[in-house]
Amino acid sequence: MITRRDFMVSGITATGVGIIVPPVFAKSVFAATVENIHNDHVLVVLQLGGGNDGLNTVIPYADPAYMQARPTIAIPADKVLPLNAAVGLNPVMPGINKLFDAGQVALVQGVGYPNPVYSHFESLYIWEHADPTLRQTEGWLGKLLAGQLDGQGHPLTGCALGQVSTPAELLAQNATVSVIDSIPTYQVQGGAGRRVAAPALYKKTPGVYGALFDEALTTAEDGIAALADSQRRYTPSVTYTPQSTVYGGKNSLATSLQLTAEMIVTQPSVKICHVVLGGFDTHQDEDARQNALLAYVDSAVSAFMQDISNHGMADRVVLMTWSEFGRRVAENGGKGTDHGAAAPIFVVGKPVKGGVFGEQPSLTSTVDSGNLKYNVDFRSVYQSLIRDWLQADPTAVLGASFPELPIIQTASS
Amino acid sequence: MGSPNLHLSRRQVLGIAAGGVVGAVGFRYLTLQLPGGSQTVASAAGAWASPLETPAGLAAHFLRRATFGYTAGELDAASSMSYPDLVDMVVNEQAQPLPQIAAATSHAAVVRAWYEHMASTPAQFPERMTLFWHGLLTSDYRKAARLPFVLQQNQLYRSMGRGDFRTLINAVTYDPLMIRYLDLEESTDAAPNENYSRELMELFTLGVGHYTETDVREGARAFSGIRTVLVDSAGRRIQPPKLKGSTPAAYAQALQELMTQGARFKGVLATRQHDSGAKTFLGHTGNLDPAQALDIILSHPACAPHIARAALVQFCTPSPSTALINSVATQFLKSNYDIKTLMRAIFTNDAFRSPDAYRSLVRGPTDFMVATMRALSRPDLAAMCVQSAPGMDQILYDMPTVAGWPSNQGWVSSGTWLSRVNFAAGVVATEQRFPDPVAAVHTHLDGVVGPDTATVFNARQGAGDKWYALLASPEFQLK
Repeated sequence: MITRRDFMVSGITATGVGIIVPPVFAKSVFAATVENIHNDHVLVVLQLGGGNDGLNTVIPYADPAYMQARPTIAIPADKVLPLNAAVGLNPVMPGINKLFDAGQVALVQGVGYPNPVYSHFESLYIWEHADPTLRQTEGWLGKLLAGQLDGQGHPLTGCALGQVSTPAELLAQNATVSVIDSIPTYQVQGGAGRRVAAPALYKKTPGVYGALFDEALTTAEDGIAALADSQRRYTPSVTYTPQSTVYGGKNSLATSLQLTAEMIVTQPSVKICHVVLGGFDTHQDEDARQNALLAYVDSAVSAFMQDISNHGMADRVVLMTWSEFGRRVAENGGKGTDHGAAAPIFVVGKPVKGGVFGEQPSLTSTVDSGNLKYNVDFRSVYQSLIRDWLQADPTAVLGASFPELPIIQTASS
Repeated sequence: MGSPNLHLSRRQVLGIAAGGVVGAVGFRYLTLQLPGGSQTVASAAGAWASPLETPAGLAAHFLRRATFGYTAGELDAASSMSYPDLVDMVVNEQAQPLPQIAAATSHAAVVRAWYEHMASTPAQFPERMTLFWHGLLTSDYRKAARLPFVLQQNQLYRSMGRGDFRTLINAVTYDPLMIRYLDLEESTDAAPNENYSRELMELFTLGVGHYTETDVREGARAFSGIRTVLVDSAGRRIQPPKLKGSTPAAYAQALQELMTQGARFKGVLATRQHDSGAKTFLGHTGNLDPAQALDIILSHPACAPHIARAALVQFCTPSPSTALINSVATQFLKSNYDIKTLMRAIFTNDAFRSPDAYRSLVRGPTDFMVATMRALSRPDLAAMCVQSAPGMDQILYDMPTVAGWPSNQGWVSSGTWLSRVNFAAGVVATEQRFPDPVAAVHTHLDGVVGPDTATVFNARQGAGDKWYALLASPEFQLK
């Protein structure tokens, strides 16, 4: 059978132009793809854009160097939610604290990579492409998606939710990605005639962008069909509270996570969902801003995990947070912090092995004049998630093996 | 139409067939360069047949890039000129000011007024350059939501965006919106903030790899102490209205009155908060102030190529060769950073008019929406642009990051493409009297359409349905 993917990419070079696309084409791809997906595990990736300050997220409250480095923005020891004798959570994160107590949070300390860079865009590129040498051109999730999870272009296996452009992590030549801001607006508008005409304009587009354009609209067409009855089949079991006042009106994390729950509950083929919250580049007034953002993350993630659990899907979902870097140990003159290096990340869900992994980097023995040294390579986290959670081959994505990080419960653990 | 003949000569451009039917033209297999490396993306139907060897084809190609589109009459006039004369005329256009805005502190009002101006002003090139500089020297309204800073920056880029880059980048460094956006306002001699210093070098002028972390810190010292003040029409410093104890509406009104009387905000160097000590920045040592630090950046060999590349990606080719970048950068540098020279070098380069350049750029959302308004002579659709822009991922003065928006293939996703076809549907639904759609295929798509567009266009009878096919088509998304 010719898949849409074969048609879009390899089929053309092999057989030349003139292939007729069978009318039942999209449906046959759907059927074949669902059979090929080998488990029902879902990875939700939550990007904290701008460089989240790890030291005011997971506070080394027992270390006097922390208070010294941050005379105006430190969070006092008596306010933190202790996770152990050394570190505790920012007090605006009671929901994550509760999940941690229930053994559903793996907190990985000191995550980074060798020779840290302090540019947002280079460091983003490194995390997005899983490559500190900046040579990879495909996003790690896109490569995973195209190579192992869904080589045939199912529209909803990889999703970017609550956004309108494809995140770089999901960009790969053969990765089909649905980018859905909200299901009610994810439609061809203007009536039945337009619903026929719009996709018909994008079947065999000439030119260098032809396949890209056609892929975009065909993916939309197939996704719309698959989602037709999703709103009848999902009702949120909790209240998601969007906070439009956090850093302007740009952040819709709660809405994005509610959409993620709807996708997971109603679409058996969903494997990877990407959501994002921006505003973490706290060069100034960090105390107010970061607390508001973290409180929002805490409430939205807690609601999402509860909703997933209430729908009986707690065993299917793991959520990972990441940010392009942490921030400088010492605060700057504007009650903020400048770009830094290593930081903690959270891996959340019932399938997770709870606890604190890695070590809190020293606040005094630093790199590049005042930045935290990493002790866990971020690719160790990716490796565990790809292999232990999604049950795929991490080396095909990461190109090498990295130190083990047992953050997922496995049959042997 | 039946099965399209895909074996036409690449240069053949079909005329209008009888009965208002348009023909489909041409294919060739090409590769698409993606950032970071070359990747092959197969196209189902080869390349577009380039009409760039005809005067009308070249004029239309140029106008789609240097402006936001044209009417049939404007295209006819442009086609009758020699190409170098046409380029000169457009590049030398004088800007028309943005009409007075009743709510100068409202982001939405300023953006709407700008869309309308982009669609209606005959001075198109200044507007296109204003958008180009906005996309490169980025700022965001969010930190200045109650202030007229967006309007002032928009006016700055319009008035200085075609002069010389040295003057422009100095003005940008003292621009109130930029001062807010990249945290210059908080930067003192005691605690210099690195944000502007870093992004200025990384994104605006040099690119990663041409400076060190020490340069970022030393640069931050040179840019410390820049503050925003309010001045009256004679340039005398005056006190801004008090925000405390005032309602947002009363505050906005008080500011609006001052602005109407000619007051404006401006950046100044507050010497007491500026670090006037010795710095070593990009290999130069001295008691550097902002202007001196900028001169050092502009003397760096990476600066002209960085800007040339950014302009080439927006105006010429998605992946310019090093030779092309260097050729354009050399002319830019020789002219002492004259922006008109830069743009003329791009538009008159062979790469601009080679067959491979035809439809090699993807219209950005603003470009697509304003071109739609211009094709239908409907600047009144500006409000619809404000509504539709988020779904296509380009809100003016609301950047995703300081690196600005994507370009070309970066605009394409399932979500953004739905938003584009839905914008076309929304526009067509508001139109009562359509221009002749078959003539429009020639005016706006050069008569070069693929088999899908031809099929959909020909299958529909009504002018509205045919205009929908045109505006929603892949051809109209390209330039």
